[in-house]
Amino acid sequence: MEHKIEQKNQEHFLEVKDLTVYYTVSKVDTKAVNGVSFTLEKGQTLGLVGETGAGKTTIAKAILGILPVPPARLINGSIRFDGQTLTELPESEMLKIRGDKIAMIFQDPMTALNPVITVGDQISEVISLHNSVSKAEAKKQAGEMLEMVGIPASRYGEYPHQFSGGMKQRVVIAMALACDPDLLLADEPTTALDVTIQAQVLDMIRNLQQKNNTSMILITHDLGVVAQTCDNVAVVYAGEIIESGTKEDIFDHPTHPYTVGLFGAIPKLDDDEEWLHPIEGLPPDPTQLPEGCAFSPRCPYAGPECRQGSIPNTELTPGHFCRCLKLEKKEEQ
Amino acid sequence: MWRYILKRLVMMIFVVLGVAIVIFSIMYFIPGNPAQIILGSNASEEAVQELYASMGLDQPYLTQLGTFLSDTFLHFDLGNSYQSKIAVATEIAERFPRTLIIAACSLIVTTAVGIPLGIVAATHQGKWQDNVATLISMLGLSLPGFWLALMLVNWLSVGLGILPAYGVGTWKHYVIPIISNSVIGIANIGRQCRVDVLEVIHSDYVTTARAKGVSNHNVTFKHVMPNALIPLITSLGSVFASSLGGTVVIESIFVIPGIGLYMSNGILNLDYPAVRGGVVVIAIAFSFVMLAVDLIYAYVDPRIKAQYEGK
Repeated sequence: MEHKIEQKNQEHFLEVKDLTVYYTVSKVDTKAVNGVSFTLEKGQTLGLVGETGAGKTTIAKAILGILPVPPARLINGSIRFDGQTLTELPESEMLKIRGDKIAMIFQDPMTALNPVITVGDQISEVISLHNSVSKAEAKKQAGEMLEMVGIPASRYGEYPHQFSGGMKQRVVIAMALACDPDLLLADEPTTALDVTIQAQVLDMIRNLQQKNNTSMILITHDLGVVAQTCDNVAVVYAGEIIESGTKEDIFDHPTHPYTVGLFGAIPKLDDDEEWLHPIEGLPPDPTQLPEGCAFSPRCPYAGPECRQGSIPNTELTPGHFCRCLKLEKKEEQ
Repeated sequence: MWRYILKRLVMMIFVVLGVAIVIFSIMYFIPGNPAQIILGSNASEEAVQELYASMGLDQPYLTQLGTFLSDTFLHFDLGNSYQSKIAVATEIAERFPRTLIIAACSLIVTTAVGIPLGIVAATHQGKWQDNVATLISMLGLSLPGFWLALMLVNWLSVGLGILPAYGVGTWKHYVIPIISNSVIGIANIGRQCRVDVLEVIHSDYVTTARAKGVSNHNVTFKHVMPNALIPLITSLGSVFASSLGGTVVIESIFVIPGIGLYMSNGILNLDYPAVRGGVVVIAIAFSFVMLAVDLIYAYVDPRIKAQYEGK
C-alpha cells in the first residue's frame, strides 16, 4: 500500500530509479528529467503533478520506451516492470509490451489519432498485434471496445474527423484499454476536454481500471483530478520529484514550498478573495538549471545553502518524502 | 464525387479557353511576319503582301481571334502548319505520344527513386544515410540537365556503345533522355519527401502508433507514408505536367520529334497554328493531370473526400 522508495528487498510492480533524460539539440542539453525515482504497486494509481514542461510526459514516454531518439537521450536510470528491466530489453521485446502490458492515453485527442485510418482499424490494429486472432475477430473486439466507451460499433468505419473531441478521446482510451494493460499511463487525459466530459472520461477510466485491477500513472496539472483519482502523488518540478507521498500526505500536509504554493494558488469558493495567489516567478530554463534546489530562485525561504550541492530526500513520516533543506524553519513558522 | 468531377470538367473548359486566348494574343503581338518567313528573304514585297492577306493575317485582331476560337472549339480544327502544310492535329497526334513516354517514365523513375531517398533520409535523420541522400539531392539540383545528358551520351553511347546517342525507334533510345529528365525531379522530390516524412514522424498519432507496439517498418509504411504522401502527390503532379511541355531541351539534344521540339520550332518560324495547337493540347493534358491529382488526394485523405462530397 505505502509508497516506499527506500524499501530494497521487495520487488515492486513498477520501479523507476534515477531516471535521467536529456533532449540534445545542436549540443545544448535540455535537462527534462533529472534523477526521478518512484514505485507503483498493482492496482494503485500514482498522480504525477506539475507545471507544463516539468518533464511528466517524458517520464511516461521513457517507461514505454517511445522517447524520440534523437533528440532525446536516456542518460541514466533503470525501469523495472513486473520482473523485467525495461531499460535493458531489446526493441523486439519492447514491441510486445507496448500496447499490451503497458498502454498510454495521450494528451491531445485532436492529434492523437491518424487522420487517414478509420477509428475502428486503429483499435483493431493493437488487438491483432498482441493477440493471435483473425482479422474478423479483431474487428469484432474493436467494435466491442467502441461500445464499451459509449460509441456505437456502427461507427467503426468512420474517420477521426467525423468525431467530436470528447469522442476522439474515448477512442484513444478504447485503444489504450483494448488489450487489458497491466499499467496505464494517462497523460493529461482530460486537459483537452470540457468539464462535463472530463468527469465522464475520468469515471470511465476509473471503472475500467477497477474492473481489471490495472495500475495507473495519471499525469496532470489539475489537483482536482488527483483528488478524485489517485492513491499516491508525486509532485514534479523541473524534472525532479520534489515531494511524494499518499494523497492524504500531500493534500493535508503539503510540505515543500512549491507544493504549498500550488495549493495556495487554488482559489477558495468560501473565501471572499479578490486576488489569486500565484507562485512568484517562472520555472527555470531546463537548459540552465540552477545549482542546488531548482526551486530556490522562486522560494521565499531559500538561503545560500539551498543554492549548492544536491538536496537530500527527507522522509517526514513513513512514505512521505520531501526534497527541501528548510523543513525545520518552516515548521517553526 | 461524380458531381465534383463534373464541376471540374466544366471549369476545365473555361481554363482551356482562357489559355487559348492568351496564347493567341501573345503570338499575335510578337513582331515578325510569318508570310515573309515562309517565302524567304528574297521574296518580293507584293508576293509577301498577297500571301499575308490570303492567310487572313490582315484581318483585325478580334476577327482573327473569333475565327481561331470557333475553328478550335466548335469545329475541332487546329489548322495546318505554315511550314509543313500538314494538319497540326495530325502532327501532334504523331509527336505527343513520344513526349508522353518521356514524361510518364520520368514520373515513374522520379517516384521510384526520389521517395525512397526521402524516406531513408528522414528515418535516419542526422546519420550518414541522411548525409548521403542530401548530397545526392544537392548534386541533382546543381547539375544542369543538358550537361548531364551529354555526359551520359559520352559515357554510355560513345564510350561503352550500349545505348544509341539520339533519335527514336527502340526503347533503348529513351533510356538516356528519361534519366537526364528525371534527375532534377528526383532531387526535388527527395528533399520534399524528407521534410514531409519528418513532419509526420514527429506528429502525435505516430507516437500513438508506436505506443501500441507497431514496429518501425509498419509505423513508416502504414502510419507515416499515407499522410506524408498528400503534399507529395501535388509535387509529383507538377513534375509530370511540367515535363509534358517542358522537355524541349531534352528533345533538342536527343533529336526526339516530340511536342516540345515541335512547338519551339513553331515559335522560331512564327508558325501560329503549330504553337497554338500545341499549347491548347498541353493545357488540356495539364488540366486532366491536375484533376487526376485531386482525385488521388480524395482516395488517400478521407477529409478531402468528404469535402468533395459536400458532407
